[in-house]
Amino acid sequence: MMHRLSIAASVVCLTVGTAVAQTHEHHHQHGGATARCTEPTLACASVATPFLASDGTLWLTWTAGGQVLVARSHDGGQHFSPAVALDAGPEHIDTGPDARPRIVVDRTGRAFASYAVFKDNAYNATAFVATSSDGGRSFSAPRPLTDDPASQRFETLAVDPDDRLFAAWLDKRDAVAARAKGAAYAGAALAFEWLNGDGKSLAPVRIAQDQTCECCRLAVGFAGPGRPVVLFRNVFEGGVRDHAVMTFADAQTPGPVYRVSVDDWHTDVCPHQGPSLAIAADGTYHAAWYTEGDARQGLFYARSIDGGRSFSTPLPLGAPDHRPTRPYVLAVGDAVWLAWKEFDGEHATVNAQVSHNAGQSWSPAAVVARTDDASDHPLLVSDGRHALLSWLTAREGYRLVPLEDQP
Amino acid sequence: MRALLVALMLLVALPAAASELRPFERGSWQDLRQAHAGRPLVVHFWGLTCGPCLVELPRWAALHRERPDLDLVLVAADPIPEDPKWTAETLTKAGLDGVESWSFADRFADRLLYEIDPQWRGELPRTLMIDRAGQVTVISGVADLGRVRAWLDDQAHQTSG
Repeated sequence: MMHRLSIAASVVCLTVGTAVAQTHEHHHQHGGATARCTEPTLACASVATPFLASDGTLWLTWTAGGQVLVARSHDGGQHFSPAVALDAGPEHIDTGPDARPRIVVDRTGRAFASYAVFKDNAYNATAFVATSSDGGRSFSAPRPLTDDPASQRFETLAVDPDDRLFAAWLDKRDAVAARAKGAAYAGAALAFEWLNGDGKSLAPVRIAQDQTCECCRLAVGFAGPGRPVVLFRNVFEGGVRDHAVMTFADAQTPGPVYRVSVDDWHTDVCPHQGPSLAIAADGTYHAAWYTEGDARQGLFYARSIDGGRSFSTPLPLGAPDHRPTRPYVLAVGDAVWLAWKEFDGEHATVNAQVSHNAGQSWSPAAVVARTDDASDHPLLVSDGRHALLSWLTAREGYRLVPLEDQP
Repeated sequence: MRALLVALMLLVALPAAASELRPFERGSWQDLRQAHAGRPLVVHFWGLTCGPCLVELPRWAALHRERPDLDLVLVAADPIPEDPKWTAETLTKAGLDGVESWSFADRFADRLLYEIDPQWRGELPRTLMIDRAGQVTVISGVADLGRVRAWLDDQAHQTSG
């Protein structure tokens, strides 16, 4: 059963959203600008990360001018509350190609934001979390996720079905310890902890998996209360940087590592392009990722109906001659959405497709947004009923585009 | 706080004095290729937030000292342009001060990557070995410098032959 995307509706929303979002910002560096933008405004941001709360509030966090900021919108990103800075700045925020500040809001309305700051010229970082209990009007002083001195990057926060806050990140403590002993250690460790409402550790930090790829974002979902599922680029035997999924047996017990796909990417490269994971209400795992392996190259999607033990044959995404990048997958209701970015040398587009049979078949890919300048990765969010594209582009500003499909 | 920001902006406005880094913008790839045309060239792309790149950089400095026949160009390919002072500091620390260096300075990084190679999705490090005829050999990931030496030997052989 194929479904066609309703492009017209999306384009209308896009126009309204972007026109207003830009009015209060300065016009910086139109076209191929060379100077760096140094104001802590959304117009100066290169990445913006959304969270749609259950009450419909859009929370947005971004990095600009050496600070991390949070603002809220009650009209889908057309107008924002005054931005609140999490840090005094300016500091050397991690703005690496797959890094971004993040924000999640639990069901009681408490907000948790995270970001990482480089602390030395070897690009080791400290990851911070700040909390708000007054609806985002103010945030606590940021506290480090851990007091370990090594390095934490690619921190990811997620609220489980019982409203508990889970944090995962890539941690260098075991790499440092190995080096001190003269032992080889590839990449970084996948670390995790559970946090209370003040962003404090509920239990000591644990390492879920050693020697994973140190340069890519993590994807986190839940198989149930207290059972995180983490999709990550692992370093398999022989330096193969393929994807793996881990489902926790319980809150403190990381489960076995299953390989999503044998792409066979033998490399020590930093792909700077991590995976995306969605777990649908029916328990199906949906995974999307990028590889340049010997077996396949490009963007791929696969699904698992056995809790991540095995995955379907990888399905290629996008037009190969348009350099597809940055895949993202979202499950909402009976729909599963895929989105990614394409680039033809001048124009960047976000393309999307939808499945209504748990990823067994997909609508044709359609363009849902475009720009002809710099752009963030496309991200998908849900308000529980609808799927929306969240995309920050340098020229148009921030946009939140409803993705509508017609049966 | 405001004074700090102003001071930071002033620093940023003077990248040339701080580092001699060339801004890599739209068209820079063509300029770079033309400036080195007709000679074997090795272009090494790296990034500040790329751990393997930082480990690899000093090895390029050593190879550059070892091989006078190596025409080496470095390009810091951070898609979100980094403060040039960080890039310059990292190059100095790696012993690469004397090497021709560029740094991505155009926020439209998708287009820069595309101009260099339409198939390149930004993974780092990446090394291009370009022979006299313009034939490009790509090394993705940390380069096997033995392979680079062999390629240089081959280029020298082609000259004498």
